[in-house]
Order: sequence, then structure tokens, then C-alpha cells
Amino acid sequence: MSYFRITLMRSAIGLPRRSTDVLKALGLKKRMATVFHPVSPSVAGQIMRVKELVQVEECEKRLTKQEVHLERKPDPGYYN
Amino acid sequence: MYKSTQALFGGLLWKTPWRLSSPQKARQRKRLRSVDRVVDTVSAALARNGQSSKAVERWYAEMPREEEMLPKDKYTLFDKKEKSYRKSIHKLPKWTRVSQRVNPPGF
Repeated sequence: MSYFRITLMRSAIGLPRRSTDVLKALGLKKRMATVFHPVSPSVAGQIMRVKELVQVEECEKRLTKQEVHLERKPDPGYYN
Repeated sequence: MYKSTQALFGGLLWKTPWRLSSPQKARQRKRLRSVDRVVDTVSAALARNGQSSKAVERWYAEMPREEEMLPKDKYTLFDKKEKSYRKSIHKLPKWTRVSQRVNPPGF
């Protein structure tokens, strides 16, 4: 079972109501938010509605919000 | 303080340039490629699971890829009111967030 990893790169401000509603249905509330959905034709159709706004990857595992955050977190301490 | 400039006073002087700059064109190509990449990822993921989607198939049937498009179609779009029947794509509302790839044949 693989998943779509969907990240909202561009906001839907000023776009038709349908685009905003699709983002809401996918669970994308603000820019750079990441959600995971199982690969299926219905999710694919939703992605196609907002393909200009999102970045999509396919992954094997659904990550938690903390795990996604930790990918972005820099190493602790002072360094050059 | 109000200063009467040609743009403010006449109301007929347009400050929007009539053509795109080369960095704008480069970013436009980048956006076209990113949409292609999203569609490819979705299609590959569905194919791996033995599924298909009507929206994805329709996109492949109707839309050219970034590298297949003519520069004319990348940066301009059809407009019946223009003398050359073409206007620059940045005149299209929300042009950085909508897909506008095909134009009427012959124009």
C-alpha cells in the first residue's frame, strides 16, 4: 500500500471556490502543510484539480506530523 | 502628498508591461514543468497499483508537455481583440496558478 505525500506550495487565495474546497477536503489548510493519502483514483482526481498548487511524491509509509517536522529541523548546537 | 504623474492623472497609461521579462519566462517554464512532474508522479503511482484515473488520462490525451510546447503557446494566449490574435500570458488572471496550454488551432 503506497501513499501520496502532498504538500501545498501555493495558496488558493483568489482562486475559484472549488479549488479551496478540494484543498480543504485533502486536509491542506496552509502553505507547506503536508498530508498523506492512499493511492487511489479518487485522490488522484482531487490532486488533478489542484495540480498547480501542490507538490506530490509517492511513499510507502504514512509519516506523522512530528516525523514530517523532524525532517525540516536543523541539527542542534552551534556549527558553521 | 499627491503628485500628478501621467499614470495617476490620465488613467490611460498602463504600467503593466506588454511582454514578459526573461526571468518571468524562466519561472513560467519552471511552473509548467512542476505541473508535468505532479501529473507524472500521480500517473506512475496509479499504474503501479494497477489503477487509472480519468482526469490523468484526459490530461495526457489533451495537453502538451512543457518540452513539446511552442514558445508562442508558453508565453502568449489567444485573444480575439488583439490585432495579432495573441496577448502575453501575464494578462490572464491568476496566470501563475492556472494551466493555460492550448489555444485555438490556426491562431
